Amino acid sequence: MEVLSERAYIQKRFEKVFEAVNWNKQLGLHEVFWKQQVKQFWLPEEVAVSKDLLGWKQFEFQVTYMRVLAGLTLLDTIQTNVGMNELSRFVKKLQQKALYSLFGAFEAIHAKSYSYIFTTLATNSQIDEVFEWVKTNPYLQYKASKIEAIYSAIKEDDDVSLWKAHFSSVMLESFLFYSGFFYPLYLGGHGILKNSAEVISLIVRDESIHGVAVGYEAQEMFKTFDKATQDELKIWGYELLADLYINELKYTDDVYAETGVGGKVKAYVRYNANKALMNLGLDTMFPDEEVDPIVLNGIRTDSVTHDFFSQKGNSYTMANVAPITDETFNFKGYNI
Amino acid sequence: MKNYLMLNNEVLNTYKTLGIIDRKKDREATSDFFFEEINRKTMFFHTLEEKINYIKRENYYEKEFLDKYSFKFVKKIFKLAYDYKFRFPTFMSASKFYSSYALKTRDGNNFLERYEDRMAIVALYLAQGKRKDAEDWIHYLMRSYQPATPTFINVGKKARGEFVSCFKIAMADNMNSIAHNIGNALQLSKLGGGVGISLTDLRCAKDPIKGIENRASGVIPVAKLLENSFSYANQLGQRAGSGVIWLNVFHGDIEDFISAKKPNADEKIRLATLSTGIIFPDIFFELARQDKDIVLFSPYDIKNEYGKTMSEISITDMYYELLDNPNIRKLKRINARKLYTDIKKSQIESGYPFEMFDDNVNKAHPLKKIGRVKITNLCTEIMQLMETSEINDYDEVDIIGLDVSCNLGSLDIHNAVKEEDFDKLVNASMRMLTQVSLLTNINNVPAVARANQEMHSVGLGVMNLHGHFVSQGIMYGSEEANEFIDAFFTALNYYSIKASVEIAKERKNKFYRFEDSEYASGEYFEHYYRKELVITSEKAKQALGNVPIITIAMWKKLAQEVKKHGMFHAYRLAIAPTGSISYIRSSSASMSPITERVEVRDYADSRTIYPMPYLDNNNKHLYVEAYDMDMFKMIDSYAIAQKHVDQAISMTLYIKDNWTTEQLAKVYIYAWLKGIKSVYYVRQRMQTIEECESCSV
Repeated sequence: MEVLSERAYIQKRFEKVFEAVNWNKQLGLHEVFWKQQVKQFWLPEEVAVSKDLLGWKQFEFQVTYMRVLAGLTLLDTIQTNVGMNELSRFVKKLQQKALYSLFGAFEAIHAKSYSYIFTTLATNSQIDEVFEWVKTNPYLQYKASKIEAIYSAIKEDDDVSLWKAHFSSVMLESFLFYSGFFYPLYLGGHGILKNSAEVISLIVRDESIHGVAVGYEAQEMFKTFDKATQDELKIWGYELLADLYINELKYTDDVYAETGVGGKVKAYVRYNANKALMNLGLDTMFPDEEVDPIVLNGIRTDSVTHDFFSQKGNSYTMANVAPITDETFNFKGYNI
Repeated sequence: MKNYLMLNNEVLNTYKTLGIIDRKKDREATSDFFFEEINRKTMFFHTLEEKINYIKRENYYEKEFLDKYSFKFVKKIFKLAYDYKFRFPTFMSASKFYSSYALKTRDGNNFLERYEDRMAIVALYLAQGKRKDAEDWIHYLMRSYQPATPTFINVGKKARGEFVSCFKIAMADNMNSIAHNIGNALQLSKLGGGVGISLTDLRCAKDPIKGIENRASGVIPVAKLLENSFSYANQLGQRAGSGVIWLNVFHGDIEDFISAKKPNADEKIRLATLSTGIIFPDIFFELARQDKDIVLFSPYDIKNEYGKTMSEISITDMYYELLDNPNIRKLKRINARKLYTDIKKSQIESGYPFEMFDDNVNKAHPLKKIGRVKITNLCTEIMQLMETSEINDYDEVDIIGLDVSCNLGSLDIHNAVKEEDFDKLVNASMRMLTQVSLLTNINNVPAVARANQEMHSVGLGVMNLHGHFVSQGIMYGSEEANEFIDAFFTALNYYSIKASVEIAKERKNKFYRFEDSEYASGEYFEHYYRKELVITSEKAKQALGNVPIITIAMWKKLAQEVKKHGMFHAYRLAIAPTGSISYIRSSSASMSPITERVEVRDYADSRTIYPMPYLDNNNKHLYVEAYDMDMFKMIDSYAIAQKHVDQAISMTLYIKDNWTTEQLAKVYIYAWLKGIKSVYYVRQRMQTIEECESCSV
């Protein structure tokens, strides 16, 4: 009888060999991104959105605000249920799979955060109405279906389709979200609905890791393609971006019509399209232009100063625990 | 929407993208702010008389204090203020003043005051008809003395809150006292105050009630009641009240107390908005050093056995006695290092708890024979003794103890050193603070009212230390900086005592049990007799300006004066964190290092960008940001100042997010060893994704 090695036996007996994720090995930047994401863990309930309640009652453009948030909810829903799931399913490295699952969990928190704001501020009928609106808005449905189709088209062992999905994910996280992020950040900078703006800025803080991490993986993949494939993918990518951009302009006109800030939103959208391309290691598409400084300051993720009467602040994180030892009490060489 | 906000925000944008400080943009923002907003909304009057009469007639100002002066004199005070040709140096200062301090019409649409008007009213109100004082004080107000926010906002206005906003109250271990103090919390919160509450004397969870075991609920449910009280009384929705609860680390409920602040704690026990603080006796660190367990006790046992409450005894002195006494239950043993690590974890994740070093406070306490300092306040700079009230049933009389209220004010160091006569500045500041204390009566909280009447406590502090250093080319934390601090705070201490003696003499009145204080016995002054203060650095000398160097002979003479005449104030100095008022004066906050060269400040009403005082493109390097500073060195500077401050200094620590709990523990232990009395927040700066990517790729 043939004597099989254990490994060969397993291979023969089962079609697939299951491997356990090993974080002991440093493989790329997965752990760096993981740590950063975990460190900035947060939940919407930590932010006192109810403090916006009085301001909300006097706020003129409630419908616009709710639509903007509902649009973001849809994108985050897709990113949770399809995006990160599909990416995680098809990438090969186990750490990378874990990282994307973690990102997915955060997307779920984001999608729920908008509801937290709705539930706190708006009435049930307002909320029902806006979720109905999501289903009927053509531009929103267009970008959702466009991205979803690319996610669903990933094929096993096909890096080209996988790269395209990474590209789309970066489009979503670094570009398409921002037509929505603009409004709460802009208002927050003007002192309107500030606590809700804080929730958004916590979301932005996460999305910026997602954009950088997924973009980085896309770049790594891109390097493995031959020149002809690279050229082809670039053309595909810029065409997709242009298509989405035109849709974003229409979406902006539609949603922001009454508020008079449409022009600023569009400039901000172009600015972020360029950033998305940079995350992917590609040349920018739009010329540099002036973007509203209040909104730019709103996404500067380094800490803002708070006092104990104001909001939560986005600067507290998970602690690195290390035990106190005798050395902790040794102050030799210190000014004691 | 608002052009001036755009201009102001560009200051940060330019700094972040190009590294350039564009003060011109900030000035444009300020002038636009006036053109677009303030000038349009300020009510116009032909003459000052017309204005004052209108404001009086419409009941915006109290009449009584104005009627103590002739109109001619009132006009003179206003003229003195306007002669300074004051201009807001930053957009931040202007916007903060107009959004929070200036008198507005009742509908909130129009302004009735400018900066100079507010200052003139403060001088006139506080002087209460004494013309000489008003004339004197308006100059200091315009130059170098700033009353704290509640005084500055409220003085002279008819519809107003209180002038003091800082309180400490003590809760005793019975339902009457708990209910009474929840009432106090509501009352003080209504006044917009920050309240510190001692919970150390409450019996632990599962302690007996009326002799029946396992009945008590412990401190956390009381804390929740307090939290709800503070959020209920919310200044007409403007801001929720604020409170901090303090617990001794040896209290049986300490672990629940620490957990309550964790962001992921169960909603039923989580303290979302109430601040927490822990009292650490020396013995705790001693046990931690030896890597031993600490034993938790119940205040219930201590009271039954010794007739004293837990907050009235020194745990350091009593620890082994408590261990040996069979009638004192040993509720739990916990490894001290492990417990302290848990506390550090909570501080990194939530910023809480604050810490107070019990023995550092009480050993240095000049009134230690009169009573113990049990807790500190919300900003951890007030350190005054307390006596817990005895609240009885309705048919009996309450015995009112001593709680604490404190009114605060600050010297702008940069301008203070330029005053011709530093003695006079401190004297005037102490007098203005004294007036606030005399004009305050919190009658709904009787133990606060009693303490104010008997102790006359005030808290004179400083601001703009870092700003002044930069203007003088001095690096924060350097030898010359520390020499400056030593000399400046010595002088501040000296002249504040001198002023207190003078006021006691005039009023023929000393603070409660002055004779039992270390001021009366002279012990307080002894550490000043050891060595003459010598300033070696030229830069420090330069930076001190007209502040005199206090000699041993001067101290000895002062000690005699004190003995002979007594002092009016039981407590004089306390270095508050100075938030808004330092923005108005375009100063750096308190004695703390700046956190950002160009700061982004979020208030409930606006996001404002604030470039630090005197910052330009040439001195950027001098403004080392707190997060980049060596915390041990920063503590050294605070420790030097602390020697000269009878109460405490509100000290925040700044760390980066890659710090471990152990590193943080070391900083705290260092602070404790250096005689620091309290630590306020731990703040950390997050490294952004770009940074962490670049350091690992």
